[in-house]
Amino acid sequence: MSEQSVERTAVERGAEGASTRRRGVIGWVDPRGRRLGGWAFILNRLTGLGILLYLSFHLVVLSLLARGPSAWDGFVSVAMSPVFLFFDVVLIFGLLAHGLNGIRVTLVGFGLVVDRQKAMFAALMVLGAIALIIAAIRIFEVG
Amino acid sequence: MPAPEQPAGDRIGTTWTPSHEDTKPTWGWILQAVTGALVLVLVTLHMIANHFVVARGLRDFQDVVAYLSNPVIVVLEVAFLVVVTWHGLLGLRAVLFDFGFSPRIESWITRVLSVLGVAIVAYGLWLTWVITSYH
Repeated sequence: MSEQSVERTAVERGAEGASTRRRGVIGWVDPRGRRLGGWAFILNRLTGLGILLYLSFHLVVLSLLARGPSAWDGFVSVAMSPVFLFFDVVLIFGLLAHGLNGIRVTLVGFGLVVDRQKAMFAALMVLGAIALIIAAIRIFEVG
Repeated sequence: MPAPEQPAGDRIGTTWTPSHEDTKPTWGWILQAVTGALVLVLVTLHMIANHFVVARGLRDFQDVVAYLSNPVIVVLEVAFLVVVTWHGLLGLRAVLFDFGFSPRIESWITRVLSVLGVAIVAYGLWLTWVITSYH
């Protein structure tokens, strides 16, 4: 077995990780034998659920628009508080991690860049980290 | 469209890869990839349109009304709503299917999430209508 195929197997197994991995939800948080692909899988699941939580909140908040200018503008002033801005940065982290990792998952799923997916994951996450820093500075600068 | 026979948890979402030589990508996986790609484009446009076109981004109620008076923006936002709802609920379905429920429960999950998706889009359309008809 070539070195490449060993790496490929470990990364591609992703969710399953080692053959001893427990299936189902408990298997997600079981760190034993987890390789990079397994961590990427957890990251994708947790950020996905986090974004769903945000989107639920987003939809509820938008209903204030139906109650007219004073209801909406009251919320906007709350949303500009430092605590909300911090959560905006957390949201951007989730969006970048999920979106960029999703590019890798999709390409690999269609059989593209399979052999270099570890490097691709690292590159995408570095790109995400840079974008997150810029976004965080902008969010706290502009408010 | 029924999904082909596959081990639980591999039917949909992020777990299928070409290393599973005995399996094929399912309709759920392909839909998730396609809607994911669309979300990537639409969320980028959504963020740019909301935060960078107007100086300092959309803020007060009048900003939002003015924003949605542009029909191109309405199309963009409704498309984003539909695609992101689809992607999010399909992802939630994949997560729920990881619990290993019976096929009967799984088909109920699919039904409930489908109804929820339609309700979310209907809510979004109603809200868009309310805002665009505000005087």
